Amino acid sequence: MTIEAPGTTAHLESLVNVATGELDRRIFSDEEIFELEMQHIFGRAWLFLCHETQIPKKGDFFEAPMGKDNVLVVRQRDRSIKALLNTCTHRGNAVCRAEEGNVRNFMCTYHGWTFGLDGELVGVPGMSDFYRDELDRTKHPLRKVAQLDNYKGFIFATMDPQAPPLLEFLGRTGRIAIDLLAERGDIEARPGVQKFTLNCNWKFTADNAFDYYHPQITHISAQAVGMIPSADVNDTGGAKTDEGKALGVQRLPTDLDTLVALGEYGHAISGPSLDSMLRTLPPEMHELVTWRRNPGPLAALGPVGSRFAGHPHLFPTAWFTMDAQISLRVPRSAGVTEVWWFSFKDRNESPEEQKAQLGRQIHSFGPAGFLEQEDGENWSQSTAQTRGGASRDIPQLLKMGLGRGKIIHEDGVARIEAPVNEHAQLWTYLSWLAWVKGTSWDELRSATTPGDYI
Amino acid sequence: MATAHLETTIAPEKIAAMYLQYEVEQFYTHEAALLDHQRFEEWVDLFTDDTAYFMPIRRTVPRRNLSREFTQPGEMAFFDDDKATLVGRVQKLGTGTAWAEDPPSRTRHLVTNVRIIEDLGTELTVETCFHLYRTRLKSEIDEWIGRREDVLRRTEEGFRIARRDIYLDQTVLLSQNLSNFF
Ligand code: FES
Ligand SMILES: [Fe+2]
Repeated sequence: MTIEAPGTTAHLESLVNVATGELDRRIFSDEEIFELEMQHIFGRAWLFLCHETQIPKKGDFFEAPMGKDNVLVVRQRDRSIKALLNTCTHRGNAVCRAEEGNVRNFMCTYHGWTFGLDGELVGVPGMSDFYRDELDRTKHPLRKVAQLDNYKGFIFATMDPQAPPLLEFLGRTGRIAIDLLAERGDIEARPGVQKFTLNCNWKFTADNAFDYYHPQITHISAQAVGMIPSADVNDTGGAKTDEGKALGVQRLPTDLDTLVALGEYGHAISGPSLDSMLRTLPPEMHELVTWRRNPGPLAALGPVGSRFAGHPHLFPTAWFTMDAQISLRVPRSAGVTEVWWFSFKDRNESPEEQKAQLGRQIHSFGPAGFLEQEDGENWSQSTAQTRGGASRDIPQLLKMGLGRGKIIHEDGVARIEAPVNEHAQLWTYLSWLAWVKGTSWDELRSATTPGDYI
Repeated sequence: MATAHLETTIAPEKIAAMYLQYEVEQFYTHEAALLDHQRFEEWVDLFTDDTAYFMPIRRTVPRRNLSREFTQPGEMAFFDDDKATLVGRVQKLGTGTAWAEDPPSRTRHLVTNVRIIEDLGTELTVETCFHLYRTRLKSEIDEWIGRREDVLRRTEEGFRIARRDIYLDQTVLLSQNLSNFF
């Protein structure tokens, strides 16, 4: 498609139709739209970089993506954290080519410019003989992100100096999203971030966090071997195998009792309510969600936030799972996305509990997970079909529950109570549209402030 | 005549070592054939009930941090399976609804560089290199090359895998899933 001159956004309006619950499939493969996303979403939003426990010692670093920029999150000598662009201020080479590690300083291996942990330029080969001491080292430090902040150990940054403070960006819904992990206990990142590559557009991975319609089909094999609980309710809706036999689909027991929260800037939570989850889980697993009712977490989450079992998603790309993991979806191009799994443990839990949780984390998600093996297939095939001239003219549907999403405002949370629905996905795209238009922060906020219905 | 010549010039322990090498290589060839013929139930029987099947996460780290290159047991991993979990994976493939493997991928397990590192009598430690070539659907190709370190236990049925550590030569995985066995 043709993107008109900056300043005109009318052509973008037709990409998302909230009234009909239809999207233009071009948004999943159009290169120009991807560039707009890089500029207006990934160049402006607060993005999750890593958890502070991943870089406990001075000199520890973790390389994190911010759009197409690569940022080194570095533990400083004074224990504070800085985030530096991984590009030499001389002629651009990466000053660090590892994913993580521990260093005393960053030396560029092109000409040897050397930067301290704080990014200051501390060494220039040939400073007197070649530069004749005319180079002002203080003018060429590694560049920093525009703003960096830490919410309960989770490090975020934005490239936009005008962006509102992190707490305001997160809002009540975004803070609940993080609190559903952070308040669980004394949280520490487990060593090892799983990273793998999908041939899909990042938005398929993002909106799927809310999709409780797919597990009963996509993950039916995992359900069959007991990885996810199923209800005794057989879904008679009509899924048939290629031999024409009923597939024997069993619904999730939580499907008729789900909760949605819609937040400013596109954050959302959607999934089973805590009560429905408790009816599903065997008693020995209740602690997975009941900690939300302990005094500390309850105070942070509030009366509404504590009723959610899952799935929170911070716009644009951070999904917080029910079992202490973050799935960060990293767009590499319109058609390629990396998935990065960050996994956590609660230091207060017993070694046995920590081990059992590690097993659940490894066996559920990630490329070898019983669940996620199948997810990637859906997203890559869906992306591929949006490249066809005729196929991409077919609208993408988010009609489930359309117009029935009555929003209840309570405790700063805009929530919907409904059976499985597509409200949160629609909210994601409504917000996405406001972001890609590149409007001011004030306009963006008002365009993504929930009303009374969706 | 050739036999007589062998007997007089090759020490018996060398012949025994050659035979052991042959047995171990035969075992791996058989194992690879089971996988490539999708005979997963027979394949999983090659593992002992107390087996551990582990693929750590590998990270690109500076040379001086190489001790941190692989995650350790107890940390995050791609596979950290006991026998029950491995059997669960096989059962999942057998449901007929494991969509990532339907249509099934086509695999070829090439196992080479077989080195018997240690022989403790009841158990051997064996290192192998592998090249797992996979094609999926119409045009997807995935390849994984790496190293395995196995503990092979001698049993009445022959060798059984009592531990397998799989070290991939990739950090960011370049494929969309690991729906196959290594
Ligand atoms: S590009 Fe880094 S020193 Fe020249
Ligand atoms: Fe899924």
